[in-house]
Amino acid sequence: MAEPGEARGRRVALGLIGIAILLVAWEVLGRAGALGVSWPPFSAVVREGFADRGLMWDSLVATTIAAVKGFLIGTSIAYALAVTGLLLPVLRPGIGRLATVVNSVPWLALGPLLVMLVAPDLTPVVIAAMAVFFASFISISSGLQSASEAHEDVFTVFGASRFARLRRLQLPSAVPSLIDGAKLGAPAALLGAIFGEWFGASSGLGLLIISSTQLFLPERLWAAAGLAALMAMVAYGALGAIQYRVEKRFR
Amino acid sequence: MTEPRSDEPRTGGNKDVRLVGVSKRFPVSKKETLLAVDRIDLHVSSNEFLAIIGPSGCGKSTILRMVASLEEPTSGTVMVSGRPPHELALAHRLGVAFQDHALLPWLSSWENVALPYRLAGRKPDADHVAALLTLVGMEGFAGSRPKQLSGGMRQRVAIARALALGPEVLLLDEPFGSVDAVTRRRLNLELQRIWSELAITTLLVTHSVEEAIFLADRIVVLTERPGRIKLVRDVPFARPRAREVLTTDAFHALADELTLALDPEGSSPELDG
Repeated sequence: MAEPGEARGRRVALGLIGIAILLVAWEVLGRAGALGVSWPPFSAVVREGFADRGLMWDSLVATTIAAVKGFLIGTSIAYALAVTGLLLPVLRPGIGRLATVVNSVPWLALGPLLVMLVAPDLTPVVIAAMAVFFASFISISSGLQSASEAHEDVFTVFGASRFARLRRLQLPSAVPSLIDGAKLGAPAALLGAIFGEWFGASSGLGLLIISSTQLFLPERLWAAAGLAALMAMVAYGALGAIQYRVEKRFR
Repeated sequence: MTEPRSDEPRTGGNKDVRLVGVSKRFPVSKKETLLAVDRIDLHVSSNEFLAIIGPSGCGKSTILRMVASLEEPTSGTVMVSGRPPHELALAHRLGVAFQDHALLPWLSSWENVALPYRLAGRKPDADHVAALLTLVGMEGFAGSRPKQLSGGMRQRVAIARALALGPEVLLLDEPFGSVDAVTRRRLNLELQRIWSELAITTLLVTHSVEEAIFLADRIVVLTERPGRIKLVRDVPFARPRAREVLTTDAFHALADELTLALDPEGSSPELDG
């Protein structure tokens, strides 16, 4: 049986080999023009990304800021509503239905409306917040009720007030679920921000993607899309690392 | 070696537990209920250590849960120190340890023991918390998290936590039910030592006849469900009890009598308490 370190090394190596095969296939298909001019070789995409690195960086920063803002707003609202539902059980069904309605609204319909309701540069933040909200709400709500019956009993016998129970038991118990929700929510926030930028934002990867499409610049389009995907993977990976530490401490 | 039970009166006020005509029914469907406990009359005197034993499902944990304010009796009354249990709980005057230690995994041993202070809105008394950890033999593990401790060590911390605010009544529901037999015996010795130092009114629910005899002043045997009092026996061993008590003829005779009483197909000794 392989050592855990060796097993991890083998898994990473296999992953890297898989990515290398994918990139080589991309390059070969692009050079052969097998999928048309809208499928440029990988090397051309990288060249374009470097050539436009100032624009790429500015776009990435704008999208990241919108996504982070949306993430924080969406998660905060989800947290506040989940805690309200816990403290005031009479409101819980209504809050649950509201969350479902928010999740059911199609972004495509909401985008133009938001442009009129809020500034175009705020539309990405709002859509990112909406994208994060539902996953966070569900995760936090279930996390707040995840304390074991034995823990709840001990708190009852020790005479814990509702607030003390929330602060000392239910909120800490919900931390792993909060991270679970964040892990799902972070890529969703990025996607929401990019989508929101299609509706008149002054900068961002979404704007870059839509303008590259309209100007038929496939290399730039692929570079922007690749950067967005890379950013989503970095966020997912970073939260995965946090999750590992949180799981160790809170479970 | 057997010695007569000490008749020295224990000090303390009215820190007793009294159940009068207590029954408990649980709903099992919209129309049906299950009678778990039937007309229990029981008095645990101030500073007495009483053990309840009985067959699985006889309602012994239900009795403890009613004393702990976790269940309401369907009929009858439960009073702890002359007050309804939930009042004692809200006054932070009850201590409890379950089979599931229920320590908070994100807190150290020290913080877990200090938890009752926090729940009472009080600043933990660092000296007292340290003293409790020493009392349960965990002084070297104040900074350890539950995951870093063995099952027996976790139960020690759980007992220290139960004692943190000097409760009027200590409630123990199979506290050593999940540890191995050797550790269990060792923990029984520890618990006896701790109890002897604190002399606190204690209600223990256990499956183990040996544990009940070793720890308790008095033992109540329940019938099968619905749980009724079948037998009450005083334990005739002086304290402190050494491990050797477990090997005496008197111990075995009492263990045999209680085991027989636990067996629903065995003889039914007369009710005497």
